[in-house]
Amino acid sequence: MIGDRRIRVSVNGTAYEVGVEPRTTLVDFLRADLGLTGTHVGCEHGVCGACTVLVDGLAVRSCLMLAVQADGSEITTVEGLEGPEGELHPIQEAFLEEHGLQCGFCTPGFLMATYEMLTDDPKPDEDEIMEVLGGQICRCTGYQGIRRAVDCAIDKLGGTRPADVFGAGGPEGPDAPDAPDADPVGADGAGEGSAR
Amino acid sequence: MTVEIPKRIDQLPNPEPRYIGKRVTRREDAALLTGRVEFIDDVALPRMLHAAILRSPFAHARIRSIDTSEAEAMPGVEAVVTGADALRWQRVSGSSPDGWGGRCPAVEKVTFVGEPVAAVAATSRYLAEDALERIEVDYEPLEPVVDPFAAMEEGSPLVMEANGTNVMMHRVFTWGEVDEAFDTAAHVFTERFRWNRVGANPMETFGTVCEWDPVTLEMTVRGAIQSASFMGLGRAATFGLPTNLVNVKANAHGGSFGGKGGGRGIDIAAMLSRKAGGRPVKWIEDRVEYLTSGGSQAWDRHYEAALAVDADGRMTGFRVTLVDDLGANGEGYGSISAAKPLTAFTGPYTIPAAGYDLALVATNKLPSGPYRGMGPPPHFMVLEQLVDIAARALGVDPAELRRRNFIPPEAFPYTIPSGNEYDSGSYEEVLDAALALAGYDDLLRWRDAARADGRLVGVGVATAVEPGVFDWNAYATVGLPQTGVPEGATVSFDIRGCATVRVGFAMEGQGQYTLVSQVVADYFALDIDSVRVIQLDTLAAPPSFGPGGSRLGVAITGAVLGACERLAEKMRTVVAGLMQTTPETIELRGGRFGIPGVPEAQMSLAQVAGTMLARSDLLPPGMDPLPEATYVWTAPDRTPADEMGRAKSYLTAAQAVHVVAVEIDPDTGQVEIVKYALADDCGTRLNPVVVEGQTDGGIAQGIGAALYEQYVYDDEGQPLTASFMDYLIPTIAEVPRSDKAAVVTPSPFTALGAKGCGEGAIHTTPAAVMCAINDALAPLGVRARETPATPERLWRLISGAGVGASGSTGEEREQS
Amino acid sequence: MKPAPLDHAAPTTVGEAVALLNDPEREAVALAGGQSLMPMLNLRLARPDLLVDLTRVEGLDHIRESAGWIEMGAMATKRAVERSSLVRERQPMWHEATLQIGHPQIRNRGTVGGSMAQADPAAEYPAAAVALGAEVRAVGPSGERTIPATEFFLGYLTTALAPGEILTEVRVPVIPPGRGWAFREVCRRHGDFAMAGTAVTVDLDASGRCTATRIALFGVGPVPARAVEAEKIVDGEAPGEEIFERAGRAAAGAIDEPLADVHASADYRRHLAAVLTGRALAQAATRAGRPEGS
Ligand SMILES: Cc1cc2nc3c(=O)[nH]c(=O)nc-3n(C[C@H](O)[C@H](O)[C@H](O)COP(=O)(O)OP(=O)(O)OC[C@H]3O[C@@H](n4cnc5c(N)ncnc54)[C@H](O)[C@@H]3O)c2cc1C
Ligand code: FES
Ligand code: FES
Repeated sequence: MIGDRRIRVSVNGTAYEVGVEPRTTLVDFLRADLGLTGTHVGCEHGVCGACTVLVDGLAVRSCLMLAVQADGSEITTVEGLEGPEGELHPIQEAFLEEHGLQCGFCTPGFLMATYEMLTDDPKPDEDEIMEVLGGQICRCTGYQGIRRAVDCAIDKLGGTRPADVFGAGGPEGPDAPDAPDADPVGADGAGEGSAR
Repeated sequence: MTVEIPKRIDQLPNPEPRYIGKRVTRREDAALLTGRVEFIDDVALPRMLHAAILRSPFAHARIRSIDTSEAEAMPGVEAVVTGADALRWQRVSGSSPDGWGGRCPAVEKVTFVGEPVAAVAATSRYLAEDALERIEVDYEPLEPVVDPFAAMEEGSPLVMEANGTNVMMHRVFTWGEVDEAFDTAAHVFTERFRWNRVGANPMETFGTVCEWDPVTLEMTVRGAIQSASFMGLGRAATFGLPTNLVNVKANAHGGSFGGKGGGRGIDIAAMLSRKAGGRPVKWIEDRVEYLTSGGSQAWDRHYEAALAVDADGRMTGFRVTLVDDLGANGEGYGSISAAKPLTAFTGPYTIPAAGYDLALVATNKLPSGPYRGMGPPPHFMVLEQLVDIAARALGVDPAELRRRNFIPPEAFPYTIPSGNEYDSGSYEEVLDAALALAGYDDLLRWRDAARADGRLVGVGVATAVEPGVFDWNAYATVGLPQTGVPEGATVSFDIRGCATVRVGFAMEGQGQYTLVSQVVADYFALDIDSVRVIQLDTLAAPPSFGPGGSRLGVAITGAVLGACERLAEKMRTVVAGLMQTTPETIELRGGRFGIPGVPEAQMSLAQVAGTMLARSDLLPPGMDPLPEATYVWTAPDRTPADEMGRAKSYLTAAQAVHVVAVEIDPDTGQVEIVKYALADDCGTRLNPVVVEGQTDGGIAQGIGAALYEQYVYDDEGQPLTASFMDYLIPTIAEVPRSDKAAVVTPSPFTALGAKGCGEGAIHTTPAAVMCAINDALAPLGVRARETPATPERLWRLISGAGVGASGSTGEEREQS
Repeated sequence: MKPAPLDHAAPTTVGEAVALLNDPEREAVALAGGQSLMPMLNLRLARPDLLVDLTRVEGLDHIRESAGWIEMGAMATKRAVERSSLVRERQPMWHEATLQIGHPQIRNRGTVGGSMAQADPAAEYPAAAVALGAEVRAVGPSGERTIPATEFFLGYLTTALAPGEILTEVRVPVIPPGRGWAFREVCRRHGDFAMAGTAVTVDLDASGRCTATRIALFGVGPVPARAVEAEKIVDGEAPGEEIFERAGRAAAGAIDEPLADVHASADYRRHLAAVLTGRALAQAATRAGRPEGS
């Protein structure tokens, strides 16, 4: 057997330093080792999006990442969305008000994908919404409630970044300050640089 | 004491209901939105083990031997089970037609790819899967049979040798003078159709945590279980246990749509637990398991159908011959889905005579199970295509032809030839509403103009009836016991007048906890926040079946109102005693008990409940002091099936008309839905937002069935759609926005006039989409007869390229 | 669906990574974004002893322009490429191809190098690379080499990378002003792997005739391949529906062993390839000659 690796991660603002078997997927680590069971598992092959979490601000499939790969990362899960006193995040409120969920199993993934989208662009157009949410499957709602919920969340946030709703300190997108078009490399011409 | 359940909202003892019929946001949602709800995979019990299942790689093979010794010796492995254990502890599955069904894990022979052969419980799922790799199984492959027509032939390999045939059942039903109708009809339209396997695919697969104590033999089953009581009864039957030894605690689950499956998984986890000294064993089905061997697959159907129409365009007869490929062993109640169309065989039409020739055939594929709607969605696809074929041939507008044949409003309650009774309906009004919303005339103009430009565009209008509130009577035809289906609720008040409602079903997505709260709050004029709904285990809960067959909304409303009536009666008796009068003089109104017109003779709920709980000495002698009542609701006035399967079974009949416009890319065969509008009538809408959500979800699943989803097997019975890369569920990009209108014709038979509404859209959407596609294809003189209408299938039709050589694309059978 | 036991190493230099990959004791495999490899691990269809995680290797995530080439580090994510205005402006076909790959949640981790190394026959990048005349840089135990994209894809899921070699960079020539391009595909659902697709560039000469046409098909044959015969049909001709359709048919007809799966048979893929190529040529020709190439 291959021994545990020590990793450090910050999850929803809490720092952890724990041992984990290298083959453990990030979603199993979050759910079983940290007890954060709000992130769900629907397919374990990257298609359904139920396991979507933010890793350093980017919405990714936590079933397609090993926990050891998250070493040094900041992770946000659905448990990290609510306010300090248990207030629902405006995105959550919007889903509640617009019947954006039925069984609720896909919902954490949709919330995290929406969160990233609205961090990138507080006013995404229809195409952008289709593009992002097209990566998440819901079997209950037929997506109509979800469409309304996203529109409602856009209104509720009114341009406020999702991370700033309960004051600073929420999860941030790494490139959030830039307009969606901005390019950290291209901005200074054809020079050297890192896109990440 | 008879209980009168209010049939209309204005019969509630509350002049100002605040919740019923209103767009109430769901009380379930805050916990779901914050990740607080405990789904089965979130359960962690002390000393819990994790199971993994070894599955057959062959569709048909004899098991020569299994060697589990290496796996058993691995550190962390606590138990291994095989067919030998099943033979010791299990009886044959009771969910199949008589003489069919098997044990799990397989004994002696495997009959489909993915059939469990052995299972391991270990300290983690990772270790359990490691251990599976150390189990040696020696198989002797046998020739599989994959095609149901081949399976019916003499000399075919037999799925179960002992039965001597692969035909599980063949029945011919005749209702009315069918032969005469066809003999004398001015027109007869005949066509073959193929509906390929699709299935539920809830986002959460099945999962369970089982404890089976080897000493006491008590079994505790947790899980993502749609019907807890039914699952408990099934497990007790499988293991030959007294039913009260099995206690089921259903978790909230991530959708079901009938296709959750689970019996096999529970049986395995339970046996592993027993072998591990009663330790809890968790088994979570993974998606590949779900897709290939879970409760995933339904409706693998080959149809030949005919419609008789008279000279005035009146439909006089409808005949269906169905070969239903149930897969191996007929487990999973796939059989009853072929019988369900009896409950709405002739749809919304006044067709007086009908016939159904039904063959249930076994093949070496996954046993097919239930899926939302159970059986009628393919049936209505067939009926509605025939109606369009007739309309086209007769030169009548398809909407008009339907209108001409609708059951008129004054004819309800209306008994259809196959025996079920429809409660109420306003079919023409629904049609008009749908056509108006869709802008039907403009759509037709758009179509004709686009057609003139050579584009392939089409408009489809389809209608269907959704039988609601299921009842076992419908399934007597396929050998199931004839019994009603109970739903109970207990309503109680505490000393402060807060209500608690105890029910026996888990949250699944349809918002029933909100519904229960709405009903109790409005009955007693409470704030909805002072009603709490809790779920009990099967051994503690009132009798319950839970969601299924579009029943729970109606059933639980009946149960809760029944309990409220009883409780109010009890409290009236108390108040009457306190006020030294008779109970009849006491009225409950707006949440207060008292003598009408006497302001000082009034008591609040809290006062009455408080008196009952704290001063039982003040109550009438012998009176039960608990401010609590239970009511168990069953559908009234149901009848058992006669020799032709005719029964009054489903209590309600909702109806819908969907209008769809599509454009097909002639070069690629891709379909774009350019317009979707519908009107439906499911009686009183207890929470319109939830009803619309059910419709939206059904449309998406219907679009999936019509255009994207199909389980594919190769000639060896290997499943080729084992991932979400291959089994294609529509995403937001594939599901158009839809416009919806509501018509409300209350049911005369149910609490508050509501009808079952959970399955309506999937009855109608596939039919409507196929109608639109065939309208688009009509100028080419070709017809799409197979679902899903994939781009390739349509391209082949359009280009006249004929049937492909690749079996993977599915072939249409030639018209005889 | 849990990975078999494996070890994980996260080197920080290309040298270390190459050394790890060439460990004679263990079967080692490179891990980039994991969007293809992780499903294989979860299904136990891949079961290496060691994953050499390239995420922390320095100098592999650049996106820059140099001497007429867009250079993308193997570990540049598709999301970074998608958001790069440099790529969008200077290599719009690559940008367009990027947008067709899965969804943002996949592109957030999936890498440029990973798609090339995976060599899925229905993937977008390999086809774009072949059509555009891209080059792949690889580093192995015996040093660095450059492989033209046209020689990189050898067969179904097979590349010219030697075992133990790491793909470090993909370089794509910028699209010069005046060159027309088109990138088209047909999928079952938006974001799926293509049933067929085509990547096309067309130049127009002074007399308005097509020249230097390049066509690469994907999702049809086992590897993305240039349709040389079809290119010849177009070159020297004035743009026109008839010639483009003929070229489309020729391109599709030249594929030896079309793929077939549950989504599309060989015939249908071939047919789609012809249709798409015809449409793409027309679109590219319309774009050709315009300064923006848009
Ligand atoms: C839901 C979903 C949808 C998708 N849709 C599409 C789509 O439409 N089109 C498409 O093209 N792709 C699609 N993909 C695949 C995705 O683009 C992958 O990211 C890509 O194929 C592999 O890139 P990766 O960085 O994730 O590589 P990995 O998965 O980490 O690696 C893939 C393979 O390449 C090898 N490898 C990776 N990097 C290197 C390197 N630098 N040197 C040597 N070998 C290396 C690995 O050893 C492995 O064998 C999809 C994936 C998912 C999960
Ligand atoms: S569980 Fe990760 S995408 Fe489905
Ligand atoms: S709400 Fe059930 S899957 Fe989306």
